[in-house]
Amino acid sequence: MRWGWLLPLAALLAGCSDAKPDKTRLVIQRFFGACEAEYGRVTDIAAAEGECGIMTAMINRFEAENPDIDVVENIVFWPGYDQLTAQLAANDAPDLVTMHGSVISDYQARGLLEPLDADLTAIGAPPASFTSAARAAVTVDGHAWGLPIDTWAPLWHINMNLFRKAGLVRGGKPVLPRSPQELFAQAQQFRARTGKPYLVQGTANEYAGFTRNFYTFVMQQDAAPFEGGRANFRTAAGRNALQLFRTIYERDFTTKNQDYSAAVAGFLKGDGGVFLVGTWMVGTFDAESRKTSGALANGGYTVVPYPKLFARETTFADGHNWVMPRNNRRTPEERAAGVRFLKFFAGHARHWARTGHLPAFQAIIDSPEWRALPHRDNLATLATTAQPLPKDVRRQFPIETIVGTEAAAAISGAKPIDQTLSDMERRVNAVLDNL
Amino acid sequence: MTRSRLATGLVILAAVLMLVPLLWVLALSLKDNAELMTDTASVFNGRFTLENYRNLFGNGDVFRWIANSLIVSFGMTAGVLMLASLAGYGFARLEFPGRNLLFVVVLLGLAVPEQAVIIARHQMFSWLGMHNSYPALILPGLSAPFGVFLMTQYFRAIPRDIDEAALLDGASRFTIFWKLLLPLTIPAQATLGIFTFLSAWNDYWWPLISATNKDMFTLTVGIASTQMNFAQTEGLGFLMAQAVFAGAPMLIVYLFFQKYIVQAVAGAAGR
Repeated sequence: MRWGWLLPLAALLAGCSDAKPDKTRLVIQRFFGACEAEYGRVTDIAAAEGECGIMTAMINRFEAENPDIDVVENIVFWPGYDQLTAQLAANDAPDLVTMHGSVISDYQARGLLEPLDADLTAIGAPPASFTSAARAAVTVDGHAWGLPIDTWAPLWHINMNLFRKAGLVRGGKPVLPRSPQELFAQAQQFRARTGKPYLVQGTANEYAGFTRNFYTFVMQQDAAPFEGGRANFRTAAGRNALQLFRTIYERDFTTKNQDYSAAVAGFLKGDGGVFLVGTWMVGTFDAESRKTSGALANGGYTVVPYPKLFARETTFADGHNWVMPRNNRRTPEERAAGVRFLKFFAGHARHWARTGHLPAFQAIIDSPEWRALPHRDNLATLATTAQPLPKDVRRQFPIETIVGTEAAAAISGAKPIDQTLSDMERRVNAVLDNL
Repeated sequence: MTRSRLATGLVILAAVLMLVPLLWVLALSLKDNAELMTDTASVFNGRFTLENYRNLFGNGDVFRWIANSLIVSFGMTAGVLMLASLAGYGFARLEFPGRNLLFVVVLLGLAVPEQAVIIARHQMFSWLGMHNSYPALILPGLSAPFGVFLMTQYFRAIPRDIDEAALLDGASRFTIFWKLLLPLTIPAQATLGIFTFLSAWNDYWWPLISATNKDMFTLTVGIASTQMNFAQTEGLGFLMAQAVFAGAPMLIVYLFFQKYIVQAVAGAAGR
């Protein structure tokens, strides 16, 4: 009786057993969160909303259509690379994993991923069918190492109600700057007429935004942040990119001291005109603009790629992809089940496009259905202008933090720009030299 | 009298200050995520929902993760108490060559951070094929230098007269340990047990990389896995519901065992 409490525990564990020996086991590991309560039984993909909802519904549907496959869905805390590395070290890698395009080369260079060229062609999703940005994301050394899920990029999310008040709307479209000087002039006009800063930025405890802005405006000057596998920041382009945001900061053209959450809330409350954040917020802000109250109400929202302020129209981009980690214990049946899932996903990729991310397939971008989605017409150019980071530079996640912290120091005036670029380059190259 | 009231007032004020963050977390967990995304001050508008808890409980894996956490925490606590007591008794009472050196080596374990050994440990469990198992989650925690130190000090504080009297009566070493000395160390056992249980329950890093199969997730790893990329923005209420859910068992433990926990903390400080 003293051990009676163990009985319900044992029953609980026994009830949790889910072994299905007659089925091929397919382990799919992904981020995007868990939403079983709402979508745990949903197989109608069209009825699902949001990254988590659509992904969950797609996996449910795949399992329903493939009764011979037992899908084990491992949901990991974003981005999940610590777990994946541990699994690879233990030779216990899942069959399919979500991976950022900027990270693929890091795993590929260590021989930890399987090339998928032949599989992609066999399932009718050859790399030629991807957008150039998506193709670049999964291609290393001439081989495709994954099925791209999407491309994402930082965007200019615009409060059209405030833009109208600032006199920055012409023919129903926002007036966008074409040079740093025009940006400063418009920001000045915006503040004079609305009393608010032109930009909303999450700058506190948030470094990715600094890095994406830096890369984007270096790339717009036809310069490369990385050359020959090494950081190349001490350039006039690097200096101009940091000076641009330092001026914005010094002249109070941006909100300050907001973290990511506060910046999102601030934009929704009308704290400023342009919010610099990625594709994933398009759906949320568009939904707000369909309401009759609020800062974005009555259609007061639009979104465009970063305007061309320098020589070239481009934006730094990354993307999500499915990759197959190497696992010498994977059976041919399990591998085939993984490829079947990739085929299923590619066949239903149009649903993922509703998340706000840019589709990975050119045919979807060219389709009238996708163009009919809100604001997608504005974003279609990203398929050709979005620029991923070079594949010969590994460790992009820690590099992002170094670049972001250094850029933040320069922009806030805590460090001279030249010293910042020098420190940034030295620190990043120290990481790369130790690989 | 005035000083007493002032002191009481200050204590109440401090208690309220300590309570505010907990109440804030609880209040946010009862709010709609969309409302919180626009403004967290909406917590004061009086509209509350249990939706976040419904979503949390709607994930059937949660109960499995709780069971895993209980098994790991109880297993680790029992193992540490047993091993630390035996080791503490040995260091305090037995004479053997190299005892002091061995004790110093054990204490050096306090100076080695988990980060320094995590890769070697992971490799070792990989070679043994033990990842994604309860032993993998429990065994590393059994190396508890603090526990050995605490129990050694406790056994040393017990007069040797007790041992000698029992030896004269023909008791074996184990009988002396088990029947006479161990019951006298209950306060130290309580201290060590509570600290070990709390640390096992809250552990995140080792379960994160050892338990990579969701069936073996502990509660900390499991609830973290359910968060979306920008949980603090798009799912703040859900995030807070998770915090309440993860913290509630410990709060309940505290309510039932607060007398022992206070004694344990005071005892640990006194040692």
